[in-house]
Amino acid sequence: MPRTLWNGSLSFGLVNVPVSLTSAARDLDLHFRQLHGKDGAPIEQRRFCSKEDEEVEWEEVAHGYDLDGKQVVLTDLELSLVQPRKTRTIDIEAFVDLEDVDPIYFDHPWYLVPYGESEGTRRAYRLLVEVMESTDRAALGRFVMRTKEYLVLVRPREGLLGLTTLLFHDEVRPTKGIAPGGRKASGKKVDQAVKVIEGLAADWDPDSYEDCYRKRLERVVRDKKKGKTIKAPEEREQPQPAPDLMEALEQTLAAMK
Amino acid sequence: MAPKSIWNGTISFGLAAVPIKLYSATESKTVSFNEVHVSDGARIEHKRICSKEGKEVPYKDVVKGYEVSEGEYVVLDKDEVAAAAGSRGKVIELEQFVPEGEIDPIFFEKTYYVGSRDDTEPYRVLLAALERTSTVGIGRFTFHNREYLAAVRNLGGVLALHTMRFHDEIVHADDLDTPRAGKAPGKQEVQMAGQLVESLHRKFKPEDYEDTYREAVFELIKRKAKGEELAPPEPEPEEEPDDLAAALQASLGSR
Repeated sequence: MPRTLWNGSLSFGLVNVPVSLTSAARDLDLHFRQLHGKDGAPIEQRRFCSKEDEEVEWEEVAHGYDLDGKQVVLTDLELSLVQPRKTRTIDIEAFVDLEDVDPIYFDHPWYLVPYGESEGTRRAYRLLVEVMESTDRAALGRFVMRTKEYLVLVRPREGLLGLTTLLFHDEVRPTKGIAPGGRKASGKKVDQAVKVIEGLAADWDPDSYEDCYRKRLERVVRDKKKGKTIKAPEEREQPQPAPDLMEALEQTLAAMK
Repeated sequence: MAPKSIWNGTISFGLAAVPIKLYSATESKTVSFNEVHVSDGARIEHKRICSKEGKEVPYKDVVKGYEVSEGEYVVLDKDEVAAAAGSRGKVIELEQFVPEGEIDPIFFEKTYYVGSRDDTEPYRVLLAALERTSTVGIGRFTFHNREYLAAVRNLGGVLALHTMRFHDEIVHADDLDTPRAGKAPGKQEVQMAGQLVESLHRKFKPEDYEDTYREAVFELIKRKAKGEELAPPEPEPEEEPDDLAAALQASLGSR
């Protein structure tokens, strides 16, 4: 059961629904721990004051900001004075169509689950799920978690409310200077490329893609444990751009038949 | 300022090779603080301490271990970890093309922009073909010795690459221990909530939503710098109306 990271309420007009936030993505990566090579003991990261060279407890740590050369120190308590309502409430500001939100803005997926046993809470929660399902709209709101503001998109997901944090518009870089200049490609080469794409067309089936990297890394760990020598596979050579793009496309099409 | 590329490689589809460069597409704008010691304002340093000896360990004496059972670690060196990267090297082979819009954005993780390298024609041809077919190319991408599932698509005239989550990394509603569903809302409640949704319906324009919190944090920093006393604001009354229909009615009435 994933742990809850935030409790608060989702506010829709004058309706407040107490909710808690839990991740909708799990991290299955293999995590390595830093060890001391000499004795194999785990390394601990500890905080030290650079002036006194003494260990500092987490409660003794504050936030420093360099304001034009002047150091300003803020405590957690002081930071919590910034827009306090937002730290407790996700205010729904608008409803939008999901397809208008480009996936580039999507950051991390979460679930908002009803918090508490009250019948009123669960009914209001269910009302929000049903009304968004029937109108096919997603809600936009904002809230603050751990001294960062998030723009969020809330939409029904498997009978619950899913929440995705979104990037703010200025966190997405402009595309200027990325695409090559020159006119838009057209003609025979594009026609052939379209045929290649059609030949490789498939439905999106996420279950058909396994994390081979994770599996290989697990195998490396197993082999190492057994004392085997680990050898890196030869890296495949980078294909050189076909001297003739047209020929490469035609050969591909011929091979597909 | 010209963007700086972070990776050079090749996208392939069939036998056609598209020489590319990757660029970061996103950046965090969160106000970042340094950790300081509250009593003297001095910077905090992180030290690596051996849990057995209690002494600081220089970085060169640190190794990476994977815990296979409680307290038992398998130590891997850099090359051994790199061995798991596979043999794809710097080639992103687009193996399948799926219809745009079929992929739930919950799968998208991080985005990069794709630029061309050397010959620009293959890039322009792939872009035009993706546009015409309204598809997204799916392939595998190795970056910093780690392999990702990746989607390559046309983002308004430029190619974008998204790293993707794997299916087993997505949590389903059944995996959660949620309280049982409440009673079905009444017809009138659904109707009023529907009206409220419609009254708040907007076309999504990302520029309409600024991170105002970021600015507010800067304001607080400036006030503190001037030596102002930062006092907590008046607590707001918590409103939690029990009567759902009345709350909806009041919400509709107030606009």
